[in-house]
Amino acid sequence: MRRLRWLILPLAVIPLSWVLLTGFSVNPNEVPSALIGKPMPTFTLRTLSGSTLSSADLAGRPVMVNFWASWCGPCVQEHAVLLDAQRRYGDRLAIVGVIYQDSTDAARSFLDHHGDGGYPDLLDEGSRLALDFGVTGPPETYFVDAMGIVRAKQWGPLDTAALESKLAKIGVSG
Amino acid sequence: MSRWLVPVGVAAVLALAGVALVNGLGVAAPTRAEQAQRLAAELRCPDCAGLSVAESTSASAAAIRAEIDAQLAAGSTADQVRRHFVERYGEWILLSPSAPVAWLLPVLAVLAGLLGLTIWLVRRRAPRAAPAASPSAIDLQRVRDEAEALDA
Repeated sequence: MRRLRWLILPLAVIPLSWVLLTGFSVNPNEVPSALIGKPMPTFTLRTLSGSTLSSADLAGRPVMVNFWASWCGPCVQEHAVLLDAQRRYGDRLAIVGVIYQDSTDAARSFLDHHGDGGYPDLLDEGSRLALDFGVTGPPETYFVDAMGIVRAKQWGPLDTAALESKLAKIGVSG
Repeated sequence: MSRWLVPVGVAAVLALAGVALVNGLGVAAPTRAEQAQRLAAELRCPDCAGLSVAESTSASAAAIRAEIDAQLAAGSTADQVRRHFVERYGEWILLSPSAPVAWLLPVLAVLAGLLGLTIWLVRRRAPRAAPAASPSAIDLQRVRDEAEALDA
């Protein structure tokens, strides 16, 4: 037994170091999506511009679904990245905004002020679509491949590096 | 044969009446509103800190309460409603973990700690064997040499 005493230190230090290293690399507020690997929730909703968009209209294209609100500070920070994404990948990627618990007037004012990418923004009355995606708060972005399967989720604002790495998961690059 | 028929028949009727009485007196099935309230208390509000859907006034909590009501009204059971939210948010949405292992792990950890502490205390109290106090051959030789030197 005494010969095994030297094991006490590594047995205490190694698991503790592992817990600290992994614990500090994960945001405890971030909720992993239960939708990864599952089909995107279906919807038919009105858009901010007055038309109607259905999930069936997006079939066969990679889709990026972004939940945002005018009252959400990080959404302002993220908006430039979304406009850039539409400019760079708009020909291969369908970007869909979903207005999260906000008024249409406030959403229009946000787009007038920060720029309108030209992609549709859905009016999600009663937050039904947000609940179907398992949204915990904006901004949140879901990446859906051309087969309609959710492959990745961004919790919090997108930056260019996160955008590119997550778009690669749904076959959009360059 | 026929003399057993009447008592057995009476006993069967009494047993059935007893079961019916117990069921009738038992706890009444919860109303839909009570079921909705219980479910709302089990689910975590998605955009609050540590509050249940029943406790929160946030728009998300209100949306979940409306969805619970709609699903119960459509004939879903409480389990089906619970599963509906777990499929979208994962187990995170449940304020109490459903997996039994999640409840067992802390208990097992405490038991393992108590076992370790007991072993340590028992070993600490056990008297240690006294070290053998036999002189070495070198010591003996030195004592003999010294004695011889004194004799000389």
